[in-house]
Amino acid sequence: MDWELFFQQLVSGISIGAIYSLLAVGYALVYSVYNFTNWAFDGFMVFGSFIGFSAILSWALPLWLAVTLSIVATVILSVTVETTSYRPLRLRKAPRLFMMISAMGVNLAIVNTLNLVYGGLFRRFPFEDLQPYFVGGISIGRMDLIAMVISALILVLLWVFLYRTKLGLGILASSVDILTASLMGINNNAVAITVFTITGVLSSMAGLFYGMKYAVYPTMGLVTIKAMIASIIGGLGSLPAAVLGSMILGVLETFVAGYISSTYRDMFSFAFLIVMLLFLPNGIMGKSLEEKL
Amino acid sequence: MGYLQAITILSGCNLLAVLGMAVLTGYTGLFSIGHAGFMALGAYMGGILGKEMGWNLVPCLLGAGLFSGIISLGIGYPAFRSRLRGDYFAIATLGFAEALRLLLNNIHSIGKWRLGGAYGYMDLPELKHMTFLPDWAVVVIVCLIALWVTHMFITSQYGMNCIAIRQDEAAAEMMGVDLLRTKLLALFVSAFLAAVGGALLAFYFGYINPSFFGIQRSSDLLASVVFGGIQSLIGPAITAILIVAVPQLLLTFALYRFIVYGLLFVVVMVFRPQGLFGYVQMNSRWITRFFRHKPPEAMEQP
Repeated sequence: MDWELFFQQLVSGISIGAIYSLLAVGYALVYSVYNFTNWAFDGFMVFGSFIGFSAILSWALPLWLAVTLSIVATVILSVTVETTSYRPLRLRKAPRLFMMISAMGVNLAIVNTLNLVYGGLFRRFPFEDLQPYFVGGISIGRMDLIAMVISALILVLLWVFLYRTKLGLGILASSVDILTASLMGINNNAVAITVFTITGVLSSMAGLFYGMKYAVYPTMGLVTIKAMIASIIGGLGSLPAAVLGSMILGVLETFVAGYISSTYRDMFSFAFLIVMLLFLPNGIMGKSLEEKL
Repeated sequence: MGYLQAITILSGCNLLAVLGMAVLTGYTGLFSIGHAGFMALGAYMGGILGKEMGWNLVPCLLGAGLFSGIISLGIGYPAFRSRLRGDYFAIATLGFAEALRLLLNNIHSIGKWRLGGAYGYMDLPELKHMTFLPDWAVVVIVCLIALWVTHMFITSQYGMNCIAIRQDEAAAEMMGVDLLRTKLLALFVSAFLAAVGGALLAFYFGYINPSFFGIQRSSDLLASVVFGGIQSLIGPAITAILIVAVPQLLLTFALYRFIVYGLLFVVVMVFRPQGLFGYVQMNSRWITRFFRHKPPEAMEQP
């Protein structure tokens, strides 16, 4: 067995797993508090990526400013979507089906607006001159390394925020029972805005990393299906499980692409989802999520 | 006239798939984002049966429908069996449609059958040569039959079970509705109809390509059901025709189509969640009322 190739694939898989984990944590956070899948996440990610791209190429801003701008714009979008499209439904106690349709609508509108504005072309960030690092014969792309380190940093910061601050604990309490939490004096609207701010940051970072690693194009958001699959593999609604699932999916997928064929990578992910649903429907770390009476 | 015929045929194929979606989403409350995948299955299976096997139109359509229905059970069973929330099923259908599209893009031939991969499956038998009727009439007849069959389905005990599941799953189960079987049945019916629509589309063009059945078509189908209304057949049927016809007639609108759909999704959900024709049943009461001499209020008095 060629160990160099093996470790090369492993590093590459972990770096794509890091991007999935940002997205999967975003899904898991919204799912754990509001019990619905935020289908608009796809749109947020593409939006963040395009804003960053425009900031660097069209407006010639430095990288740090472009990233900040992308994060701020995505957070504004995410919070606006929450207040206009989800909150009215939640206040009316609408069925989950309606929330999902509303989120799908937001997604369709964002992705197709970007498609109209930028066109469907694949665009690359202008980072051609980045040399990879070499560690014992394995090359590690600089972008991969940055994505891994920053994703890990963001996840640690998120953990600290959720478990060590008052607002974070409020979010955790809401994820157990949102009604009781609000009776205990937790401000529901503050929780909603914080949750969607966090998902805005996560999706824009994921969009930027994904765009820098591959390319920026309006349908790049389809990668969020992978993040959903990853969060199911880990166990839907739990943040550490989402990270674990993302890493497993990212690594396995890269091995399939490397050793079998890259055309079957996406099919493998889907087949993996079906197998998981058949044998481990609650995910690897999941508690029983069956709907209760 | 040819233009109108083309719109009739395209909207008819769409209508068949939308009727299936209405049973699945509007009546059973299951949310499929990859229904174009079932259309693709039907189109390719219909093409294989028609071109390679040389079957007639009706067995082709039934065969395509059955094939797609059986495959749909393979996706539905794991998602429904674990009794997890509907999101899993939605993700599974989306993944299925994307995976199928990729697979069809990469399969160039199965044995002697040249499916053509991304170039598309060519030289299929054409609808106008398969029957003695004009092609648009075939599509209209199939649509009418499908409308009648779905109407019978949703007014039957099975349909009542579906409605019960959409309204309250737990209560339906307590009343003795078999959740798994009812959901699978609804999925089977909807996949069957979508496949018939896909097969008709394949025979109309005489050519199919995996990109016909992308995520945009799935969005079209979903939009028809959402705008047309929950628990209604005639509403989605009308919007299914409008959704094909309006962008064809107003070509400048076609550019903004999906942006408008998306915004309308949100507006409909926030302001009129039952859809335009929600809970409106297909019946002939208004026709009989039209031919009555007395006003209906007077008739209902004993």
